[in-house]
Amino acid sequence: MTAFSRRAFTTAALASLLTACGGQGTKGTASDSGTSAPQPRSPHRTVPAAGARPLARSVPVRLQVPAIGVDTPVIRLGLAPDGTVRVPPVTADDRAGWYRHSPTPGQTGPSVILGHVTVGKYGDGVFRRLAELHRGDRIVARLENGAAAEFAVTAVRTVPRTRFPADDVYGNVDRPELRLITCGGARTGDGYADNVIVFAALSGAESPTPGER
Amino acid sequence: MRRTVLTALALAGTAVLLGTGPAFAGGATTPSPVPSAAAPTPGPAESAVPSPAPAEPTRGQSGSRPAKSAEPTRAPAGDQVSVVPSGAPDTGVTEGSSDSGAGGTAVGAGAAAVLALGGGTFVVVRRRRATGA
Repeated sequence: MTAFSRRAFTTAALASLLTACGGQGTKGTASDSGTSAPQPRSPHRTVPAAGARPLARSVPVRLQVPAIGVDTPVIRLGLAPDGTVRVPPVTADDRAGWYRHSPTPGQTGPSVILGHVTVGKYGDGVFRRLAELHRGDRIVARLENGAAAEFAVTAVRTVPRTRFPADDVYGNVDRPELRLITCGGARTGDGYADNVIVFAALSGAESPTPGER
Repeated sequence: MRRTVLTALALAGTAVLLGTGPAFAGGATTPSPVPSAAAPTPGPAESAVPSPAPAEPTRGQSGSRPAKSAEPTRAPAGDQVSVVPSGAPDTGVTEGSSDSGAGGTAVGAGAAAVLALGGGTFVVVRRRRATGA
């Protein structure tokens, strides 16, 4: 065997080793944690109206977030036996879910809607791009009675799941607000390290069309 | 020198095979899209059709809120969110075991490549020895 052959074999062997060992490290992508600063962006923006009037109670049936291409039916979610909030089922047609112990969108208080960031083998969840929202982005919750509550994003936060800010999310507020919640950040085994929480305030409303309830 | 090269290749192949152990162990189980313990299973009660409220577990939130004994039909005046869930919502189901399976596949392919290379080297060397080259 010539010196060149030896070098060639050694190089090939090392390359194969590097290929083999590098296979595991390509999945999880790191993500910011902590509070993300809202950044200006032009489309799909609304300005929160000061003192937008609260709406009558009516459960949400659809959620639209044009800035990130979300247009999804909304199901109802309760509590699991362990006291945690239930999440939408893991299916190919992923949907958002409204936490039914929270106000309906447009009522005074924090209305809470949850959605998956990913749904296992089905790929991206309905809130896959939630962290891309910025202050002023528009969110529309369509209600069972035909009305629509329009919200403007006021903040987007990414927080460690171990320090979920329950008071900020579920605590009383003196105006109609909305919380959109999903997971985010680095993947940890079969889940995620963080939660992404979008805070929004009511900016307008569409009345029910005649004949609808 | 040839022996040195062959020995190095054999050791490298062995090291890669040993490294695949944990990955294959993770991938040996059948991938499941729903983590059985970490993620709460979706409830059958969730539907788009309103239904009579079933009783839900009575609990308080770290002592800061009073426990509710039944499902409210509307938020009471005191608390807009009538029952505060515990913990953080688990709204991200990764491919979990499927991921490790994919990683295991990659490692396995690498190991196979190393073995094939080592085997080819061995054959070439044997032939050259046999022909006296």
